[in-house]
Amino acid sequence: MWNSRTDYLYVAPAIFVMLIVIGYPIYYTIELSFFNTPASLSLADKTFNGLDNYVTILTSPIFWKVTWQTVVWTTLSTFFAFVLGLGAALALNREFAGRGFLRGLLLIPWVVSAVAASYVWKWLYHSDFGVIGALMVQFGLTDHPINFIDNTTTSLYALIVVNVWKEFSFAMIMLMAGLQTVPDSLLRAAQVDGASAWQRFWHVTFPHLAGVSTVTVLLLAVQNFNSFIIPWVMTSGGPAGSSDIWITHIYQIAFGRQRWGVGAAYAVILFIVMMVLGYFYVRALTKGDESRAGA
Amino acid sequence: MSASTEAAVIHRTGIDGWRWFGRLFLVLLLGFTVMPMLWMFITSLKTGFAAMQYPPQWWPTEPTLENYWRLIDPTSSVGQDFLRYFWNSVWVSTLTTILAVVVAVPAAYAFSRFRFPGRTFLFFAVLLRNMFPAVVFLVPLFILMRVLGLVNTHGSLILTYLTFGLPLAIWLLKGFYDNIPVQLEQAARIDGATRFQAFFLIVMPLSTPGIIATSIYSFIGAWNEYIYAYTFLTRHDQMTLPVGIQRFFSENATDWPGLMAATFMMSIPVVVLFLVLQRYFVRALTEGAVKH
Repeated sequence: MWNSRTDYLYVAPAIFVMLIVIGYPIYYTIELSFFNTPASLSLADKTFNGLDNYVTILTSPIFWKVTWQTVVWTTLSTFFAFVLGLGAALALNREFAGRGFLRGLLLIPWVVSAVAASYVWKWLYHSDFGVIGALMVQFGLTDHPINFIDNTTTSLYALIVVNVWKEFSFAMIMLMAGLQTVPDSLLRAAQVDGASAWQRFWHVTFPHLAGVSTVTVLLLAVQNFNSFIIPWVMTSGGPAGSSDIWITHIYQIAFGRQRWGVGAAYAVILFIVMMVLGYFYVRALTKGDESRAGA
Repeated sequence: MSASTEAAVIHRTGIDGWRWFGRLFLVLLLGFTVMPMLWMFITSLKTGFAAMQYPPQWWPTEPTLENYWRLIDPTSSVGQDFLRYFWNSVWVSTLTTILAVVVAVPAAYAFSRFRFPGRTFLFFAVLLRNMFPAVVFLVPLFILMRVLGLVNTHGSLILTYLTFGLPLAIWLLKGFYDNIPVQLEQAARIDGATRFQAFFLIVMPLSTPGIIATSIYSFIGAWNEYIYAYTFLTRHDQMTLPVGIQRFFSENATDWPGLMAATFMMSIPVVVLFLVLQRYFVRALTEGAVKH
């Protein structure tokens, strides 16, 4: 509605800070990925080595193992967080006493620090005194407590449970807001026409949730792909790399082994993957805009 | 007639079936959500000896607040450390929040109102920022902080949190400004207010819920942040709670009750803040997703 030079003044502070703290690092990471930088991170001594860092990564068997684990981690975490969140949103989508309180309670895991959550779950999973192991013995599921996180076959899945615990309620509030957009009149009309509860959900509610669901799934996927704290604090990617995902792996390469160039090249590959996901995210958002404009 | 009654009966049982299924699901989900928090609290009331028992004591035989007293006792070394971390977290999170609001308010207002070239592009750049993982920034920012002499200072954290919090802060606030009718400002302008006065006296007060929501969001984000604090801070007296607690743990690896008390204390400020101001927070977060 207005247009003048001073308009830019409102955004200038934000743009300026972001250019320094976001633009510069992105450029720098790309540059570092083509160099061999000494462990001391003394930049004067870095030497250009072309695509060597990338070749090192793509030919390493660990790369494919970690990539597979990242896919498992991201897919399962996103799927279960979404399903639990959807279930909770549908179950809470009705007025009853204590509904607000229940919603608040379910949201707490999402608000608390992931570091706190990691330690709490580490204690729950504890091999000797953990309450999960004790409960499983109590209910006769096993003879003795199972060690979930120091075990190469179960560690990744044990961490996925923690991750789902931490973030399902994010899906829940997003979908609760989405449910508000489903017109009551349509649901009632469907009921009068004899549609079953399932048919009403599938043919009336679900199509209205499609937009929010896409955004929620994408946000969850991005967040899970970028996870660091839970695997890092609980297992540091171990044992034997069995719960290593991309970010923890990169962190180890860069800050653990001081292989800055390889770490940067990893970050660039990750960056490209994120840009692809980002493209779909923006498309999902703008598609919603167009359909609204059309309606 | 009888057929339709029959159909109604079937429907009723169908609905009730789903309703009961929904209730059962909620109860199970509630158990899954609450059990870890409950166990954290119960453990924090135990002595070290009571916690290390198999099978576990479901409720401590001699509940004690000793673990909490030790954390807040400024004369013990554990208490000194904990209070220092706590204070550092309060300081960093508060300052980040204030700065984030000061910078985000004008930017969000501009994104909501003005049609300057590249506006859409800028806005999606803001959204895309959220997708970049911290590791992309970690090494360069570490170098940048070294150049600026900010390593091991709170300045490094505040600058980083501010930047990474901004895109979301702008997004949240824009949602609120979009809902404030432009006519209000136009009326003020006609009555002789400058554009800044219209913004400051008319729009700002109306967007208070948005500012509250944005503040909670950045406070919680800064309070819980771990990866940058973990990388930028090595001096003990500068550490914030998430990093400090980790250090606490590595030095007292078997003191689970103490650790649980510490995680409980660390969670209190954000959980209380969140529960009290829940409605602003939820509204702001979902505003952008449902309609934008």
